[in-house]
Amino acid sequence: MIPATHTGITRTTSYKVVLPFYLYAGLAFLAASVLLFFSTTAFTQHYFHPRTLAITHIMALGWGTMIILGASHQLVPVLIEGKLYSNVLAYLSFGFAAVGIPVLCYGFFVFSFNGLTQAGALCIIAAVLFYIINIGISMVQSGRENVQAVFVFTAMLWLLITIIVGYFLLFNFTHTILSKDSLHYLPLHAHLGIIGWFLLLVMGVASKLIPLFLISKYQNREMLWWVFGLTNFALISFIVFFLFFESSLLYFIPVAAIATALVLFAFFCSKAYKDRLRKKVDNPVKISLLSVIMMGLPLLALAALIGISLTAVNNYRLVLAYGFCILFGWITAIILGMTFKTLPFIIWNKIYHARAKAGRTPNPKDLFSDRVFKWMCLFYLAGFMLFTAGILTSLVWMLQAGAVLLLLVALFYNGNMWKALAHKPKDNE
Amino acid sequence: MLIDVHTKISKILKQHPDALEAIISIHAKFEKLRNPLLRKIMAARTTIGQAASIGGVPPEKFFEKLTPLGFEVDHHASADIPDPLPAPTAFLKEVSPADTITLDVRPIIEAGEDPLSLITTHTKSLKKGAVLRIINTFEPTPLIALLAKQGFISYVERVSADEVVTYFQKKEDRPPVPDVPENKTEGWDRIAEAYKDRTRTVDVRHMEMPVPMMTILESLATLPDDAALHVYHKRIPVFLLPELKEKKFDYRIKELSGSEVHLLIFKEK
Repeated sequence: MIPATHTGITRTTSYKVVLPFYLYAGLAFLAASVLLFFSTTAFTQHYFHPRTLAITHIMALGWGTMIILGASHQLVPVLIEGKLYSNVLAYLSFGFAAVGIPVLCYGFFVFSFNGLTQAGALCIIAAVLFYIINIGISMVQSGRENVQAVFVFTAMLWLLITIIVGYFLLFNFTHTILSKDSLHYLPLHAHLGIIGWFLLLVMGVASKLIPLFLISKYQNREMLWWVFGLTNFALISFIVFFLFFESSLLYFIPVAAIATALVLFAFFCSKAYKDRLRKKVDNPVKISLLSVIMMGLPLLALAALIGISLTAVNNYRLVLAYGFCILFGWITAIILGMTFKTLPFIIWNKIYHARAKAGRTPNPKDLFSDRVFKWMCLFYLAGFMLFTAGILTSLVWMLQAGAVLLLLVALFYNGNMWKALAHKPKDNE
Repeated sequence: MLIDVHTKISKILKQHPDALEAIISIHAKFEKLRNPLLRKIMAARTTIGQAASIGGVPPEKFFEKLTPLGFEVDHHASADIPDPLPAPTAFLKEVSPADTITLDVRPIIEAGEDPLSLITTHTKSLKKGAVLRIINTFEPTPLIALLAKQGFISYVERVSADEVVTYFQKKEDRPPVPDVPENKTEGWDRIAEAYKDRTRTVDVRHMEMPVPMMTILESLATLPDDAALHVYHKRIPVFLLPELKEKKFDYRIKELSGSEVHLLIFKEK
């Protein structure tokens, strides 16, 4: 526990550091959904397709990673009750990622793995290094340890490993440095990113934020440590089996470990939900809780995949559906919810922190439109389900219908975000 | 406590209970401070320098009376009260009687009420060049300083010991300066003053998230409707704010530094 006398330096990270990441992520989501709409036929083919690779990386890096980088510059200082070590490192991280991501994704899109594409990948590695150094020093300086900070830090290391492996795969296209072709290593790269980076980070941060947003006293450090241990065990055992054993049957071990971790985490969330003080749960939190349930979908697809792979049939539709459920399903749902649970508050703080002494201030919640948010969620659920069904059935019209809805979601999302950004204080407030 | 010409009378009264009598003994005009309501509103607006000018005495008179009570005087600070214009003739001649509004605030003050809101409704609607004539028993130095910031020039005419006429002319249409929190009826200081004897305090600085929010909400659950909760916090608790609105509470936030924030939470009216 934290000593009760502590009154160290805590400071809110400047909005100037955080907002560029949010804006960039919103535009990346829009770009990915436009590309999705024009690439529906790619989703009836093998997953190793230039467009699929481009969309995957726009979503994983431009959308998911960028918003996490932005939000964690804000949230980590809150978690560790300290302050961000350096704004300059944060800007550098943003700058390198902002340049590297489109260069890399363009390389995938035109299926060219030349020096430029590789330079893009190196920029992303630099961006992640700046991020890790910045957050790492912030954590060391705060001198506090908590389970959530360990989740975040471990996730950052997995991210670094993921992109370094990714870089080798890219390099392997032009110069053979690995014993097998790059396609063979794709599952390794993908799961390092999905489990090591996204899953660990989201569970770590959510275990703090969900009780906070629900106003729940529920805490269970021990259970969270189990979740942490099981997830890392799953990932490491998967790597070992992948590199040194050929049997698909063994993969049930990491899947079982992940499934247990997810069940424990879902149990943690449901306990927090039951113990909550706030009876009326707002929409952004609802969709974030839904994303916790949506984590089960890829797990189902994965179990089915391993089951099928025992019969030696490579089912690329299921692989596509699996990836789609993760990037457009779980990760997108959590970002849609959490953006409007963090961004309006960052902007409120920027505008009103100095004014809140003089008079009334508006509700931070009112900085964005709740109605647009609701429609966004409805379109999102419909679009996601249609597109997933389209992948599984290879029906192009279904894919197109789903893509149109997801494109609208991206427009609503950006529109609502810009509305919050453009908020101007009224004179009497 | 270190005092100078810029020190607010309210701060001095708060510091030492005997300061009230000491100040009243300086000049009969300060008798008004005996009225608790006038004391509350006037003393918070007036500095030693301004009070000295109201009473027509040098500020040293205040220092003389206050040093025995343990106050220390900082002589380095100099007075910066805007000097009223030397002669009224220049602008009064050009203004037609139709453009002059006269307000006699003596009965309002006599009744123990604050004339400021009445005065500001007039100054807001005043056209450029028009004149507001205020009749009072003393020179309204704080008002002169306030209106000077809003683009008014002033002239003070002492008719008799109990009648002072002050002329304000609007020189330019400058919008009222927004960040004068102490003059706003909505601001922290006014609300803190209004709930002075009915404020509960809670310190959540040492608590780990989400305990501060729970603690504040639990404290509010037992807070009487006419009381306020004063919270010591490490940062502005942005996620608490929608919760407060939901529960029909209003709040003011005073940010002392990046790591020290005070909140005042009270029932919405």
